[in-house]
Amino acid sequence: MSSKDKIGPSAGHDKIGLDRRTFLKTAAATGAAAASTGIYMPALAQSTAVKTLRFVPQSNLANFDPIWGTQYVVRNAAALVWDTLYGVDDKLQPQRQMVESEENSSDGLTWTFRLRSGLKFHDGSPVTAKDVVASMTRWSARDPMGLMIKAIQAELTAVDERTFKWVLKKPYPKMLLALAKNNAPCSFIMPERIAMTDPFKQITEYIGSGPMMFARNEWVPGAKAVFEKFKDYVPRKEPASWLAGGKNMLVDRIEWVIMPDAATASAALQNGEVDWWENPITDLVPILKKNKNINVDIADPLGNIGAFRMNHLYPPFNNVKIRRAILAAMNQEDYMRSLVGDDDNLWKPLPGFFTPDTPLYNEEGGEILKGPRNLDAAKQLLAEGGYKGEPVTCIVAQDQPITKAQGDVTADLLKKLGMNVDFVATDWGTLGARRALKTPPGQGGWNMFHTWHAGADCINPAAYLAVRASGDKAFFGWPDIPAVETEVTNWFDAKNLDEEKVAMKKLNKAALDNVVYAPTGFFKGYQAWRKNVTGVVKGPLPFFWNVAKA
Amino acid sequence: MPIFIFKRILSTIPVMAIVALFVFSLLYIAPGDPAAVIAGDQASPADVERIRQNLGLDRPFLIRFGEWVWQIVHGDLGISIFTSLPVRDLIAQRVEPTLSLMVVTLLFAISVAVPMGVIAAWKAGTWIDNSIMAFAVLGFSVPVFIVGYLLAYLFALQLDWLPVQGYTPFREGFWPWFENLILPAITLGFVYIALIARITRATMLDVLQQDYVRTARSKGVAQSSILFVHALKNAAIPIVTVIGIGLALLIGGAVVTESVFAIPGLGRLTVDAILRRDYPVIQGVVLLFSFVYVFVNLAIDLIYTLIDPRIRY
Repeated sequence: MSSKDKIGPSAGHDKIGLDRRTFLKTAAATGAAAASTGIYMPALAQSTAVKTLRFVPQSNLANFDPIWGTQYVVRNAAALVWDTLYGVDDKLQPQRQMVESEENSSDGLTWTFRLRSGLKFHDGSPVTAKDVVASMTRWSARDPMGLMIKAIQAELTAVDERTFKWVLKKPYPKMLLALAKNNAPCSFIMPERIAMTDPFKQITEYIGSGPMMFARNEWVPGAKAVFEKFKDYVPRKEPASWLAGGKNMLVDRIEWVIMPDAATASAALQNGEVDWWENPITDLVPILKKNKNINVDIADPLGNIGAFRMNHLYPPFNNVKIRRAILAAMNQEDYMRSLVGDDDNLWKPLPGFFTPDTPLYNEEGGEILKGPRNLDAAKQLLAEGGYKGEPVTCIVAQDQPITKAQGDVTADLLKKLGMNVDFVATDWGTLGARRALKTPPGQGGWNMFHTWHAGADCINPAAYLAVRASGDKAFFGWPDIPAVETEVTNWFDAKNLDEEKVAMKKLNKAALDNVVYAPTGFFKGYQAWRKNVTGVVKGPLPFFWNVAKA
Repeated sequence: MPIFIFKRILSTIPVMAIVALFVFSLLYIAPGDPAAVIAGDQASPADVERIRQNLGLDRPFLIRFGEWVWQIVHGDLGISIFTSLPVRDLIAQRVEPTLSLMVVTLLFAISVAVPMGVIAAWKAGTWIDNSIMAFAVLGFSVPVFIVGYLLAYLFALQLDWLPVQGYTPFREGFWPWFENLILPAITLGFVYIALIARITRATMLDVLQQDYVRTARSKGVAQSSILFVHALKNAAIPIVTVIGIGLALLIGGAVVTESVFAIPGLGRLTVDAILRRDYPVIQGVVLLFSFVYVFVNLAIDLIYTLIDPRIRY
């Protein structure tokens, strides 16, 4: 039996030595083989020449077009199959990846890029500038930074086989960051024929130039996705650092085993049926930590930011005093404890909007979220804001543990404040549609909902739509706060980090003063892997390069 | 008989049509928008609308329903909104695991539950009967996932006899296929055993009071022969009926069991599709389940004629 067709990898797993189950299987096989030769081949007889890493991802890989579908799980899988022109390193700096060199004209309007030689797609064809142009055209139709570039684009053309030119109508200092960022959608490079697909339609061919190839014939959406090593991939010479540097694959095959049940994933990891679990739930971490065969560590140092958003279009939250009353009353520790329990390594208070421990993090204007909570003062603000007991429609997705926990805390908070809560328990799919409605809360709309944002998206305003306050064009809740937008523009125009910091301090203050949304805190999660696996690093997505399995 | 079978097959057509209309209507009025799920948080309303248009979700109900029915008539269940794969292929990928789970569960449950019920009836009122009925109550009361977790903890984690999760196709060999199904089948069979054991006991108790049983006993027929040859055959019709009806229970239970043991079956496909609002997949799977249910009922009717020669259609 080969493990190739195993859906759920218990057969042929790479335990060292002879365990009881293997022994029993072998014994059973001997009997079975005697009775009917050929129907069974014991696991011990299998070759383990092919090194397979079995990984439990955060969720199902339901589609595989990283431009069409922007879910993190798609981005994570896509990073194996498609390469990018640049990649961010662990210092959040863009580094060359497929690009060999770049040149920006003195007026900042013309970018000329040259590709590395020897780049190949999985079908054997060379990566050319034409492929890049088509890929960038598709990407820039969907990505927020791409859309900004597209809006000021004069031309994007292939100069020769390895050179392409991007001419802009005005300078765009964040060009390299846009091409390197790890926020979905990343600027993945596809063959021209595939990249020509309408960006609002899904691609059906999964050919990239990344270090692994997608085994489409083994893809069982909802159960399994398989990636095989691309022999012709030429990694960069620099050491790997997140999406930058040499992406050396030290395993031949990576199997993503989708497990909807956390307890099953935990048991499978303990049993050696899988090697690496991306996001063990907090409740199960103590069990995993006790297991001498398992390592547990923080998954992503950039963590996540919890949020509840208020609808700025309708009472009562169209009144800034009432929005600030909520900030004055809320206790971020309550929210974070509901998410991570007693583990103090996993959370931090967040009197601001940007990811802690990153260059632009600041607490300007954050006093309202600090110190002891004062419900009486909050009630006073509510009264000043003219709250008259109108119902507050709070939609809470129950199928997402993060939103459910936050929703319960908020409902309790609002009740303590004497607000009339209309708690709508629903699922994420319904919430996703309802939050887009701009109708009044009593007519199918809403007053507040909960969500969270990956910390990697919140290191600056580039991909941080949730902090934008551009009215109709803003994220759900549609805050319209010109002071915030001014500072976003200032950040994009900033010429150095100091200028960026000045803009972000002002933005943070304006966003808190006007309550773009209510940050409920900063929290992280764990990842867990078996000790025979080495090279696992902390990062905003699981990086499989340089991960080895003994 | 052939006319009966033909008529029954014909009667499935309006049933399936009603099911199709019902499912389609239900999904049409259900809240949620797959386009919003696909577009993600960064998308503008215009982006969402464009995806909706590309998926054809902006068209009127009747046109969409008509197109879907036309596809079904031509053997095409449509394309999954999320995977862009044909629904037929997605279902085909998942049929074997679910079918395997059901077959093993059925065999296991019947082979355990029927003797249990017969023995309980034979020993009615004794501690054996009470114990079996206590087990039956337990089987009904304990949720499937609790049984699953306990079995996995004991036989996979503690004893390391069986795998925790996964599925191996039958073509990879009998034992690898079977070892992945043992714990799920026991888990899923737990409720089923309880159900069948109780109905077997009840019908057997009734049959064992019959005159012909008393006559058999007075003639000195062996007890086992009375129970399993004479009585059980006459008690079989309600048991077969319950086994058939219980198939619906099995389909529902499979959703949980497949999740607990990470078996890539139709149950998980359905749940995933519902959560994402993947309408073509939901419609396809529900239609398949409906067809299976109708087919099973037909099979049960035919089995009646084998068990009881007096029944003729």
